[in-house]
Amino acid sequence: MSGAQGYHEYFDYRHYPLRPPRLVDGVDPVRHPVAIVGAGPIGLVLALDLARHGVRSVLFEADDTVTYGSRAACISRRSLEILDRVGAAAGTLEEALPWTAGTSYYRDVPVYRLQMPMDGNQRFAPMVNLQQCMFEQVLVDRAEAAADHIDIRWQTKLAGIERRDDGVRLALQTAKGDYGLDADWVVACDGARSAVRQALGLRFSGTTYDGTYIIVDIHLRSDYPTERRAWFDPPTNPGSTILMHKQPRDIWRVDYQLRDDEDPAEAVKPENVLPRVRRHLEWIGERTDWRPVWISAYRANCLTLDSYVHGRVLFAGDAAHLVPIFGVRGMNSGIDDAHNLAWKLAWILQGRSSERLLQAYSAERVFAARENIRHASKSTEFMAPPSPAFALMRDAALGLATADPYFATLINPRQSSAIPFADSPLNASDSDPLPAGPAPGAVLAECPLQSAEGATHLTARLGLGYTLLALTDKDPRPVLDGLPLATIWIAPRPLPGAEAWDATGRLFALYGARPSAFYLVRPDGHVAGRWATLKPESLRAAVGRALD
Amino acid sequence: MLTDQELDEVYTEACHRMTEVGETRTPLFLARLALLLMKEVGDVPRIRAALQAALAIPERRGE
Repeated sequence: MSGAQGYHEYFDYRHYPLRPPRLVDGVDPVRHPVAIVGAGPIGLVLALDLARHGVRSVLFEADDTVTYGSRAACISRRSLEILDRVGAAAGTLEEALPWTAGTSYYRDVPVYRLQMPMDGNQRFAPMVNLQQCMFEQVLVDRAEAAADHIDIRWQTKLAGIERRDDGVRLALQTAKGDYGLDADWVVACDGARSAVRQALGLRFSGTTYDGTYIIVDIHLRSDYPTERRAWFDPPTNPGSTILMHKQPRDIWRVDYQLRDDEDPAEAVKPENVLPRVRRHLEWIGERTDWRPVWISAYRANCLTLDSYVHGRVLFAGDAAHLVPIFGVRGMNSGIDDAHNLAWKLAWILQGRSSERLLQAYSAERVFAARENIRHASKSTEFMAPPSPAFALMRDAALGLATADPYFATLINPRQSSAIPFADSPLNASDSDPLPAGPAPGAVLAECPLQSAEGATHLTARLGLGYTLLALTDKDPRPVLDGLPLATIWIAPRPLPGAEAWDATGRLFALYGARPSAFYLVRPDGHVAGRWATLKPESLRAAVGRALD
Repeated sequence: MLTDQELDEVYTEACHRMTEVGETRTPLFLARLALLLMKEVGDVPRIRAALQAALAIPERRGE
């Protein structure tokens, strides 16, 4: 269900040619270490991340260009941190609109002010808005710059999968003929309707909500700042909700919920959508001309596979799980999947780790999907009450919140954040607790640093392997000889030999270094272990959890 | 005072219990809940203040 009025208005789509490989007996004679089905944001981030580790990948995309339309338009701070590691943050931030705040209204009264965490420690805004098509183009451009490691095959459709003990044979379909291709590993990044998932006969489990939303992008020149606005029961859509977000190039996203008595197929037609949007824009005081660009209908799903590892076939992003849009966990959790998977797959291909490491990928990311679903369900139940009782309680909470801010917390849209893996098999036991700082399984908290090369940030310093962040005034390196990790010595003040120092004095406090703290950090920014004193044996054992 | 997380959890639980009870018996359920919470609060001025705050139902424009 979508109206294709003006896709071209987002930007100039580049169309990529079909270039089938030279074949031997109908098969690509090159055996590929990693084949990625789907060149959307998750497949592209995975390919870029694998390339960083020196792993080549081939991607298959049925289309000849990036996705049509704006779709997932919010990119989280955690995703920006990941994009920075794969070399795509600068391109993403070129046009993206950063934002930190939002307002929720009950009818016409503001009842909640959303303020996302933003302080002087941060490198990136908590959220930036960029149309998915433009974001994907940034990733495609980066992938083309890494063409020695990344081979995108456009206009190539998956037709079948044959699983073998040591790999996978893919059947691929193109307008210039079909061919087979062998890969050691296949990663399904082919979205909600994943052809790979269907080919393997795998089913999602979870719940689907009944409510339907209309998503409309419009072209509108407005000086209103970039923030999230939500209206509950506004006079322009009585009994329902409306959301608005600003995107680059004068595009505005308007989401609204249909009432139960409305037929989605009828409601998505422009003649039914546009008067509603016009009524709302006039009511909020937008008087300039506007025009629709994209219209689509959406239904909230809370679904996941029970495992993301099926022999040599792996799943990431919407192919693996679907979460409701409220809180922007869809694409952002997929980017986290890709970043979690890339180093593990690379280490296995490089013979450093056994395939057991993939069980940690599945355990961590299935857990994350369930956590994301839990949070997003709460948001969905507030935005679109699934029963009269939820609607009654919501109206009570909204009404009380106008007079008593205590109840405003119930209106918090619970925006996406990185999920900590408290029970990951890769976590060292936290037997030497520190007074502050991220526990094993959590991601690093951002903090500025000063290094000999200038100002930098903690999360920008991680390498391709495990990194030991040594917050101490004594050179830790003599003790660490021979351990399979990179050490970054961060001193409380400029000391000879230290890579960086805590110029603001905030890092040592934030990480509970009194006077010292040692954090072992995985390539994806999750803490593997932490100690108040340096114990080479504990470090060796902690890294060993990923290496055996 | 409940934490944000705790308020969130009991709020959602109340929604689910009310859904189970059904729409027609919801007023009775809420009345029983009010009486039980009055007993728990055990303080007349605080209960009167809550009654007063509950009374201030925002009206729709034009209603």
